[in-house]
Amino acid sequence: MIMKTIYKISLVIFFSFWTFSCNVLDQVSPNDVENGNVFTSTAGAQSALIGLYSSLQARDYYGGYFPMLSDLYSDVSVAGGFDNIALNEISDQTITPANIFAQNTYLALYYTIATANHIIEGVELIKDPTFTTEIKNTIKGQALAIRALAHFDALRMFGQHWNNGSFFGVPIVLTVQKATDITPRSTVAQSYTAILKDLQDALPLLDTADESKQFITAYAVESLLARVFLYRGDMANALQSATNVIDANAYEMLDQNNFSTIYSGRLTSESIFELSFDVQNRSSYNVLTYSRDDALRTEILWLAEESLNDFFTNRPGDARAALVDFDPTNNDSGIIPDGRSQKYRGEETRNNPAYIIRLAELHLIRAEAHGFTQEGIDELNFIRSNRGLADYQLSDFASESQYIDAVMDERKAEFNFEGHRMFDLARINKTVLSIFPFPQREITASRDILAQNPGY
Amino acid sequence: MTKKIYLLFLVILLPGMLLAQDKITVKGKITDGGDGSSLPGVSIQIKGTSIGTTSDVEGNYTLAAETGSSLVFSFIGFKTIEEQVGSRTTIDVALPLETTQLNDVVVVGYGTQEKKDITGAIASINNKDFANQPTTNLAGNLQGKLAGVNVTSTSGTPGAGLAVSVRGASNPLYVIDGVPMLSESNSSLSTSFDTEGNVVGSGQNLSSISDINPNDIESIEVLKDASAAAIYGSRAANGVVLITTKRGKAGKTKFNVNYYTGTQQPTRKIKFLNSKGFIDLIEDARAQDLKRYQADNTIFDTPTSTFDPTVLTDPLNYSVGTQNTVWLDEVLKSAPINNYEISANGGDQKTKFYVAGSYFDQTGMVIENFYKRLNSRINLDHQATDKFSIGVNATVTHSRNRRSFNDNTYTGIITNALGASPLMPVYDANGNYSAFENYQVSWLSDNPVKSAREIEAFTTSNRLIGSVFGEYKFASDLKFRTSWSVDYSDLRDEQFFSPLTADAQSVNGRAFRSNYNSLTWLNENILSYNKRIGEDHNINAIAGFTLQETTSDLTSTQAQGFPTGSGLKNISSAAVINNTSGLGASYGLQSFLGRINYDFKGKYLLSATIRSDGSSRFSKDKRYGVFPSASLGWRISEENFFGKDGVISNLKLRTSYGVTGDQDIGNYQSTSFYQPSRYNGTPGLRPRNLADPSLTWQSNSTFNIGVDYEILEGRISGSIEYFKSDKTNLLSEDNIVGTTGFQTITRNAGKIENRGWEISISSINVSTTKFKWRSEFNISFIKNEIKRLSNNGLLISAYNDLAPTHILQVGQPQGSFWAIQYMGVDPQTGDAMYYDLGTQQAQSINSGLIDSDDSQISGKAIPDYYGGFNNYFNYGQWDFTLATQFSVGNKIFNLIRPTYENLGWSNEGGLDQVYANNYTGVDKRWKRPGDNTDIPRASFINKNYIENSTQYIEDGSFFRFRTLGIGYTMKPLKGSTSLRVYGQVQNLAVITKYKGFDPEVSSTGAGNPQTAGVDYAAYPQPRTITFGFNFTF
Repeated sequence: MIMKTIYKISLVIFFSFWTFSCNVLDQVSPNDVENGNVFTSTAGAQSALIGLYSSLQARDYYGGYFPMLSDLYSDVSVAGGFDNIALNEISDQTITPANIFAQNTYLALYYTIATANHIIEGVELIKDPTFTTEIKNTIKGQALAIRALAHFDALRMFGQHWNNGSFFGVPIVLTVQKATDITPRSTVAQSYTAILKDLQDALPLLDTADESKQFITAYAVESLLARVFLYRGDMANALQSATNVIDANAYEMLDQNNFSTIYSGRLTSESIFELSFDVQNRSSYNVLTYSRDDALRTEILWLAEESLNDFFTNRPGDARAALVDFDPTNNDSGIIPDGRSQKYRGEETRNNPAYIIRLAELHLIRAEAHGFTQEGIDELNFIRSNRGLADYQLSDFASESQYIDAVMDERKAEFNFEGHRMFDLARINKTVLSIFPFPQREITASRDILAQNPGY
Repeated sequence: MTKKIYLLFLVILLPGMLLAQDKITVKGKITDGGDGSSLPGVSIQIKGTSIGTTSDVEGNYTLAAETGSSLVFSFIGFKTIEEQVGSRTTIDVALPLETTQLNDVVVVGYGTQEKKDITGAIASINNKDFANQPTTNLAGNLQGKLAGVNVTSTSGTPGAGLAVSVRGASNPLYVIDGVPMLSESNSSLSTSFDTEGNVVGSGQNLSSISDINPNDIESIEVLKDASAAAIYGSRAANGVVLITTKRGKAGKTKFNVNYYTGTQQPTRKIKFLNSKGFIDLIEDARAQDLKRYQADNTIFDTPTSTFDPTVLTDPLNYSVGTQNTVWLDEVLKSAPINNYEISANGGDQKTKFYVAGSYFDQTGMVIENFYKRLNSRINLDHQATDKFSIGVNATVTHSRNRRSFNDNTYTGIITNALGASPLMPVYDANGNYSAFENYQVSWLSDNPVKSAREIEAFTTSNRLIGSVFGEYKFASDLKFRTSWSVDYSDLRDEQFFSPLTADAQSVNGRAFRSNYNSLTWLNENILSYNKRIGEDHNINAIAGFTLQETTSDLTSTQAQGFPTGSGLKNISSAAVINNTSGLGASYGLQSFLGRINYDFKGKYLLSATIRSDGSSRFSKDKRYGVFPSASLGWRISEENFFGKDGVISNLKLRTSYGVTGDQDIGNYQSTSFYQPSRYNGTPGLRPRNLADPSLTWQSNSTFNIGVDYEILEGRISGSIEYFKSDKTNLLSEDNIVGTTGFQTITRNAGKIENRGWEISISSINVSTTKFKWRSEFNISFIKNEIKRLSNNGLLISAYNDLAPTHILQVGQPQGSFWAIQYMGVDPQTGDAMYYDLGTQQAQSINSGLIDSDDSQISGKAIPDYYGGFNNYFNYGQWDFTLATQFSVGNKIFNLIRPTYENLGWSNEGGLDQVYANNYTGVDKRWKRPGDNTDIPRASFINKNYIENSTQYIEDGSFFRFRTLGIGYTMKPLKGSTSLRVYGQVQNLAVITKYKGFDPEVSSTGAGNPQTAGVDYAAYPQPRTITFGFNFTF
C-alpha cells in the first residue's frame, strides 16, 4: 500500500517536472546572436559589415594604441604616464617579447582579420533573394580591403616589411579558424602577395561613385594599394595607384590656413578613409595626448619628443608646428607636460577620428616613387606650399638620399601623431630592431610554431 | 463467576503487588555540574519503564518511584547518570557536562548525522565559537578555526569578500538552510580606473554572502572531501559551506537583545618621511648622483640627449616649511561600529519560531566610507498533523555601502596617500582642496582627501532568500520532503565624480548608474528512508530530484556633463549619455541525487552517494555529469579486542574517494556568438567568442583518509587526515593563437593537484566547577601543483598594464610569482644588483644587462601551512577567549612598495617634482662606500630599483592575535533571564616581517588564485575594539 503511494507520488512528481526541466536546461542568451543565425539575410550581412568597422575601432588598434605605439617607437614621441614599464620599454626602444601593448595590438589586428574572414565566407551562404550580387560585392569588397589593411598593419609592425626576401613576414589568415588552427608566419614576399591580392580583388567589387570617407571605397582601396606598393618598393605601381586616386579629383588638399580643420573638423576633403567615432563610442586619442587642461605629465601617455620641437624650429613657416605644443617658459616638464599634440582636441566629446589614409600621403607617395626628379620635387612642393613652406629646387639636394631625407622629413612633419614614423624609419634604416618583437604569448600558444623576430 | 475469576487474579497478583507497593515520592533539584545553575527540562525516567518526568524551570522534579528502582537523568550536552532510589526521598543531582562529541549532530547535505557515524571529511563550527564578532561576512568567523579551510581577508573594506579556500580550492559553494546561494560580487561598480578612465583590475569586490547576518547562524559545516560534498555534484569541486540558521525551540518565548558598539583603529600604519626627511632624501639623491656623474657620466646620457648636471646643483623649487601633512592620518581615521539585534524564539510542540531583526552600522576607516545593513529573519516550523509538517525560512536584507576608491587601483585614496608630498596641505589658504598638480610629487592622480569626498559611490542591495517546505511521513521510517526556494537580489550602483575631481574636471561631472537583479528559484524533492533491521543493521537512504533556474539582468548607464552648481547628480540632468548597456543572463540545473548510509553494529560504516546534474551551460550532448562517491569507516574502538577501559575512548578510521564537479564558467560559453556593436551610428554585429562545443564539467576526484580520535572520554579529541585531490578537465580560459581572432577559449584542459595533511586537536585542559579551559588547535599543510597545462609557462599580470607578475608552469603551484632576482646592494657603488641569466651572475642595474628576460619563478602566494590556536576560558561567571591564527610560507608581491621606496627618484629629473614620498624604511639606505645594506643608494636621475624584482617579494608569514574577548554573565537574574556583558578586541596584533599594511592581502580580489598574493595599496585591516551586552529574557 505504502509502496504504491510512493510509486504514484514519484510518478506524478517526475512527470510534472519533466516539462519544467526541459525548459530549465535550454537557455538562450538575450545578449548575443548565435553564429549560425547571422549570415541568413541581407540585413545580417550588413550588420556584420558594421561589426567589422567596429573591430577597427578597438582601443588597441585604430581606437588609438596602434598609432601611438608605433609613434612611441620612433623619434617623434615619448611615453608619459605613471612610470608605465611596458610603455617605457616601447618608448625607450628596449621592447621585450612579453610587452603587453604589442601583444594586445597583435590580438586586435587578428581579431579584425577573423571578423573579415567570417564575412568573406559568410556572404557565400546567404540564400536571401534580396541579397543581390551588387550588395554582396559591396560587402565583400570592403571586407577584403579591411582584411588587407589589418594584414598590412601586422606586417609593418611585426614583420620585416622592408625586405622582400625575408622569411619574417606575418601569418596570413584567409579562412575562419578553429581554436586548434595555428597559422605559421608567411615570408615577407608571401605576405605582400596576399595583401595585394585582397586589395586588387576588392577594387572591382566596389562602386567608384561612392565617395563616403568613413567607409572603404574604391578610392580608399586604390590609396592603400599605393601605400603597400611603396612599402614593397614597387615604385611604378605605387605611382600608378596614387595617381589613379589623385586624378579622380574626388579629394582636395586644404591650404595652410585651413588644413587644421582636418583635426578639428570631420571627414574633410583631404580624408580618404577616416574611422569615425562618436560620444557613445569614443576613441582614446584625446585622453592619450591631451586629457584635460591641467593634466600632469603622468596623465598623458603620448607626448612629443623634444626633438620634434627642435625639428619644427628648424622649419620656419611650417604651419604644422602649431600642432605640437611646446612652451619655452615651461621649465619643469616633469610636471606640466610639454609636447602635447593639438591634433586630437575635444575633451568633452572625445570622438576624434583615426586618420587611416589621406590625400597628403598620396602626394608624398608620389614624391618618393618619382625619386629625385623634378616630378618628385613638384609633389613635395605641393605639400609644402599647402603647409606654409617655401618650395624646394632640384639644386637644393646634393644626392638622391638627401632628397629622400627631405621626403621623410615632410612625412614626419605631416604625419606625426598619426602613426607613420616608425614604419618610415624602418623602411629607411632597415635594421632588425626597427620592428616589434613577435609577441611571446603567440609563440607560447603556438607551441613554438611561430618564430621570433631576429634580434629578440 | 466473573467475581471468582476476579478474586483469583487478585490472589495471584497480590504478593507481587505487595512487594512493589513500597512506593515513595522522590524529590530533588537538578543542577549543571559545570556552573551549578539549575537545569530545566532534564528527563528523569525510572529505569526499564516508560514512567518519567522532566525538571521544571527551577530544575526541580517530583516523581513517585519504588525503593528498589533506579532513576536515569539525561539531558543533551550532559552525561547521563543513574541513581539508586533506595530509601532516599530527596535526590539532588549535579549533571556532569558531556565531554565526548560523538553524539553531536552534524549537518550534512540533505540531512544530519551523528558525528560518530560520519565517514567523510567535515569541519564544523558552532555559534558559540563565533558569536558577536564584528564581521560582516560569515566567512570571517571561520578564520583560523577549521583545519583545511583557509580564509583570508583580501581587503579591510567593509562588506568586502573574503578569499575562502577549502583544501587549496577557491570559491566554495555556499548553501544556506538548503538553498545554494549566490556568493559572488554583483556590483558592477568599479573602483579602479587607469588614467584613461578605463576600468582596470577586478580588485575590490563586495561579497553577497555579507547579506547574511552572522549572528543568525547556528552552525557552519564545511564539506571538504568528495564523500561529503558529492551530494552537491556539479558545484562541489571547491568544497561546500553549509550554513544552518537558528530555529525555534518549544517552550516559553525567549527574547534576546544583543548590542555592541566599538571602534576600528588603523593599525600598522606605514611611517612616511616628514617634510625634512623628504627633502633630505632628495638632496642626498642629488648629491649621490653628482658624485657618480663626476666619476662616470655614461649612465646619465640618453641616446637622444646629453645630461645637464645643473639639475643636480641648482636649488630645488621647494623647501621645508611649516607644512607637514601625514597623509595616512588624513585619510584613515578611527571609525565607529555598532550592531543592534533583537530576536525571539519559542513556540509549542506544534509550532516553533525564530524571528530576528538586526541593524549593523559600520563606518569605514577610510574617510567617508560606510556600510549599513538592515536584516530580518523568520524561521518557522509547524507540525500540521502527526504526519505532515510545514515550515518557512526567510531572510530579507537591505544594505547600503558608500564605496571607497581603493584596492587594485592607480587612482585610489590609499594609492595616492601612499605617495603624497608632506609639503602639500589638504586644503589651500582659501579652504579649497589644494591643487595636487602644484606640489612636489608626480605620483598623485588627485588630492586623496578630494577623491574620498568628491567621488561618491554607493552600492545598495536588497536581498530576499526564502524557502517554504513541507514534509510528509508515510511511515516512521519513510518521509518525503519538498521545498521551494527563491533567492532574489536587487542591487543598485550609483557613482558620481564631482567636477572638482581630476577624473571629471574636463567633462563637468561624470556619473554611472547600474541596476542588477537576479532571481533564482529552486525546487527540491527528497525521499528519505531510515531503517534499523534487527540490532545490527542500520540503513539510512535518500533519493531526490531538484530543479533550479537563475535569471539575471544588468542595465547600466554612464553620463557626463552636469549643470554647474546645480548639485544635480541624476542621470537625466547629464548633457551626454556616454554609454548604456542592458544584458541578461540565465542558466538552469536539473539533478537527481541519492545516498545510502549503512552501518553494521555501529562499527562498520559505509556511505555511497551519487548525483547527476544537467546544466544549461553545456551543449546538449555534454550536458549531464555524474558524480559518485563512496566512503568507509571502521570504529576500531567498538571492537572487543580494543577494550573499553583504555586511554583512547574512541578511534575511527575512515577513507573516501569520489568525484565532484565544477560548472563555474559563466553562461552560454559552449556556443559561438555574435555580439552587438556599433559604427557610424549604425548597429551591427561582430564575433564575440570562439566556443568549444565539447565543453563539459570540470571534475575533482578526491581521496581522503583520516582518523578521528577521542582520548579520556573526549577530554582530548580531534582528527588527522590526509587528502589528495586532482582537478582535471579544468574549465580554463586557455590561450590560443591570436590568428584565430581570439585570445582565449573556454575549454576543459589541464590538471591541478592539491594534497596535504590536516591535524586538529581539541582538549579540555581544565574542567572544574569554578574554572574551565578548552583549547582548539588546527594546522593544515598544503601543496598545490600544476600537473598539466595547455599553455605551459604562461605569464600573467595582476594588472592589465603592468609587466607579468605571475606564471603558470607545470610542477609549480598556482599563483607563482615571476620576477627578476634581486641580489642586494653593491657595497662600493650603492647600485641595486640583479641576477643576469645571460652572464649567470649578479649585475648592476646600470649594466644594461638586466631586463624582464632575467625573470624567474620567485615564490608563491599559497602558504606551506596555516592554522589557528584558540583558547576558551571560564572562571566562575567570567569567560575569556583568545583566538589566534597563523600562516607560514606564503609570499607577497608588494607591488605598491616601489612607489614609496623610490629613493628620491625624480621620474623626469626636474626641480619641481620627484616621483613620490618615501617611507622611513629608506633611512637604512646605502650612503657611502662600504655600507652593507639591502636598500640601494638614493638616486635622483636614474631609477635605482626594478619593480618586478624579488626586492618587493616579501615573506607574508604571520601570527595574528585575531580575537581577545572577555565576558561576564549574570544569571539567573530572575527565572531564565540572563545578561552577559562582553568586550572584545578583533585583530589585536599581528607578528610578521611584512612591510605593507597587512600580510593578509590580495588586491586582485577573492576568487583569483592565479594572481593571488599581490598588494597594490589594499584597504588596510582595522583593529576593532567592541563592547556589548547580550540580554536574554
